[in-house]
Amino acid sequence: MSATKAIPACHDDLIHDVEYDFHGRRMATCSSDHTVKVWDCDENDQWKCTASWKAHSGSVWRVTWAHPEFGQVLATCSFDRTAAIWEELVGEQVKEDKQSHWIKRTSLVDSRTSVTDVKFAPRHLGLQLATCSADYMVRIYEAQNVMNLSQWSLQHEIQTGFTCSCLSWNPSISRLYPPMIAVGSDDPSPSSSGRVQIYEYNESSRKWKKVEIITVLTEPVHDLAFAPNLGRSYHTLAVASKDLSIFSLKPIGKESSSSFSKFDMHRLAEFTDHESQVWRLSWNVLGTVLSSSGDDGCVRLWKSNYMGSWKCIHIINGSGNKTEQSKEIKTIPVTSNINQNVRFYHVQPVTAANEVVWH
Amino acid sequence: MHNPVTRKLVNETHNIFSMLQGQVASSTGQHLQSQLVLSSKQYRAVLKACSMELIHLAETTRNEQQKQKCEEQLEIFEMIQLIWGFCQILFIEITPDGLLLNQLLDWIKWHFTEGKQLAVEVIHDDLPAQHPAYWEATFRLLLQGEIDSVRKLLSLNESFQNEAFLSVDELLRKMPQWTHYHHALSAAEFDMKWRHWREECQRRYEEGHYSAFPDLETLVMVLCGDENVFSDIKDMCGTWYHLLVSKMLFQNPTVRAADLHFYAETCIEEFNMSGSRMGELDNILLAAIQFDIHQVIKDSSVFLSTGSWWFVAHITDLLHHCGQLDTQNLPYGSNLREFLILEYATSLMSHKSLWQVGIDYLDYCTVFGRTYVKQFINHMVLDNEKKAQKLLHICQERNLQDEVQTICKVMGMKSLRLGRLGSALAWFLRSKDVTATSKLTERLIEDYSICSKFQYTDILDNLGPAMFLSNRLTFLVKYREFHKLYEKQETPEAASLLLSLLEARLAPRTFWITLLQDAMPLLEMDKVIFSSSQTYVLMHCLEELRHELDSKTDISKKLTNMEKDKLDLLQLCLTRNLSKAIKEEGTIKSS
Repeated sequence: MSATKAIPACHDDLIHDVEYDFHGRRMATCSSDHTVKVWDCDENDQWKCTASWKAHSGSVWRVTWAHPEFGQVLATCSFDRTAAIWEELVGEQVKEDKQSHWIKRTSLVDSRTSVTDVKFAPRHLGLQLATCSADYMVRIYEAQNVMNLSQWSLQHEIQTGFTCSCLSWNPSISRLYPPMIAVGSDDPSPSSSGRVQIYEYNESSRKWKKVEIITVLTEPVHDLAFAPNLGRSYHTLAVASKDLSIFSLKPIGKESSSSFSKFDMHRLAEFTDHESQVWRLSWNVLGTVLSSSGDDGCVRLWKSNYMGSWKCIHIINGSGNKTEQSKEIKTIPVTSNINQNVRFYHVQPVTAANEVVWH
Repeated sequence: MHNPVTRKLVNETHNIFSMLQGQVASSTGQHLQSQLVLSSKQYRAVLKACSMELIHLAETTRNEQQKQKCEEQLEIFEMIQLIWGFCQILFIEITPDGLLLNQLLDWIKWHFTEGKQLAVEVIHDDLPAQHPAYWEATFRLLLQGEIDSVRKLLSLNESFQNEAFLSVDELLRKMPQWTHYHHALSAAEFDMKWRHWREECQRRYEEGHYSAFPDLETLVMVLCGDENVFSDIKDMCGTWYHLLVSKMLFQNPTVRAADLHFYAETCIEEFNMSGSRMGELDNILLAAIQFDIHQVIKDSSVFLSTGSWWFVAHITDLLHHCGQLDTQNLPYGSNLREFLILEYATSLMSHKSLWQVGIDYLDYCTVFGRTYVKQFINHMVLDNEKKAQKLLHICQERNLQDEVQTICKVMGMKSLRLGRLGSALAWFLRSKDVTATSKLTERLIEDYSICSKFQYTDILDNLGPAMFLSNRLTFLVKYREFHKLYEKQETPEAASLLLSLLEARLAPRTFWITLLQDAMPLLEMDKVIFSSSQTYVLMHCLEELRHELDSKTDISKKLTNMEKDKLDLLQLCLTRNLSKAIKEEGTIKSS
């Protein structure tokens, strides 16, 4: 159905993040070369770089897309201690060279250290943005006016007590669940407390509160990702550390509306297949297929069967030898020898997994 | 999934599937049972038709690669048909008396056609009995229970008038065949008849009637159900399941489904001894014989769903409705049927046009279907207006209000980016997005104050109640109405509308100057348009505006000299009008 395709990304340094837009027709990459690039997929499924600009004065760690109902908007975060909001200039689409122009709408400068991750909130929460940084803080911003992206107000600051490396919003499309964020830490020092914390927002007290710590993970955490929850009774969280772990969090009710949820937490799966550090994670739109990239230079796809048992269903070698079908996936080549090529795997706007997991 | 043949398979079976789901919802018992059998047959018929097309395609194509693809696909289709046919006999079309030999024979005849082909070849030969495949054709047909054809072939033999041949012909003619007595006999009665017949066969064989004709002797041994002879001719069956059916025909014609697997084992052993190994297909059929439906589904999923989940999804749906599966929820949250239909629908969703079929399948997934539809619709690429409209239609059919709004907002933002403000406005209105609509309207108002010309009048004039979504929009529409009235010279109506716009404070303050200026020509007319009280209102507005602008400290927002002049002039007009109005109002009209 689709084949692995390599695209020379022309970044001058390590690429840290690759992110598809909501429909899978655009892509953004960011790199240690301080730049961000935007790629568009044309009718013939060819990826073309349509914008490239110096976004920060340090390594750009992460790039992320806002929901298209807010326009074409990106957020980035960097070693230069800032996060930035970018918007594609209106009406510039029809230019001759097909290059689009992105302008910085704002810089978020509250952090005193490197900003390690930035993520937009699920759409139903409006235009909100969370950042986390090495100074132990998670900050949540909101655009006061969705038509004017230059004004963002800092709504919440959460003191996590550890060096934050990554965060993930729970993208549950059901409004039954309160907003939830998981934060991971890559603090290398041996510590007794866990490397993943989960926070929940309480409507009545208007506060974020820690509701869970995953203590079983003691190695530095590089990435984590909640799966879209399509009506399942539990949330699924994937964590990239020395190994890949998948957790389920089942809300077990709360005593009153003002108190916070309690969870029944299980580790559903633990994989050492990458043999070394796992760097980036991404779910398909249904939350049924997880992709992970690791130091072994491979991207692996994982799927669960109906018995809830997870298996690796596909491996894509960083050198692009495999030509079998693959699913929406993002990856970072972490091995230095291929650091100027991003391997992109054919994306289907709505992804499917035909691979079978029965065992 | 990407060639025209499989597309046909998807579309046609979609209809059967939808129809069946309707039947499941509305009928029960015997009626439902016969509907299920009917659907199963329809699915198989479509599959068969697609197979035929693939054969045709493979024969006619000049493209080697395509030919190979067709043949691969064909092989999968053939296997699916084989499994489906078998499952239908065992699990779906269950006979009331529990006998299944006839169905099994039909199944074998359908899938193993070498015997018939050979027979045709032999019959058309000048000397049929001398044809090298004469006896092979005869045996193959015999093993499939084609008794009449076997007799026909034997009658072509030059020795047919020999007593031995006539004796065999008689035995064949008298062989009790279930189809002849269907429903007229009980199983026990049939069994008795059959035993009598077989004893007769054995007696004649033992009396050595046929020793002069070895082939004929073997044939009678088959009729006697001799174990050893089956070993000898098993290669004419080719597979253990053919051998099984053939053996049952002559050894145990009243076998029940539940006992089949005892006999299957010896048949499999027979083939294993000669070195053939069990393949995936064999395992699936064996699991079916053992009534391990879950194993059948599991193995089929692994083995046959590399291209799509078509087969497992549809057969599991049938088996589910036949009551052959546990309906309990699995750890993932629903039952096996739903899991597989979700997988199948998901595989369709990534297709450029078949995704609409996928949506229909999701509708029949009670637990996860709706959220899946929502999620998919949210992620659909809105390439063009047509696709957006199609999606909106789908959402409206399913009452997915949130998704309707999102689609409209995204489309609105897209139009806005392309500078198509009219279309953007239409989308925002449809999404009922007040903020976006207001912001966009402000832009339109601004455009007007710059170029003094209305744009997108077609949409503004036809808004209807939608204009009340945003105050700004209401203002813009009313303001446009004012201009129309004015052009039509319906001055009193125009004047009162203008006045109400100012009074209701709907206009942005920056626009007031424009509004007040619009009042000037009306004030200057010979006839008195604004009454004294209306003039007071206008004067009040003017003062309010002046006061506000004067109090601003920001220089840039202060009035320019030209604007100041304009306002002074306006003041003068108002005063003059006031005096005219008072005079006229004070005059007693002479009628």
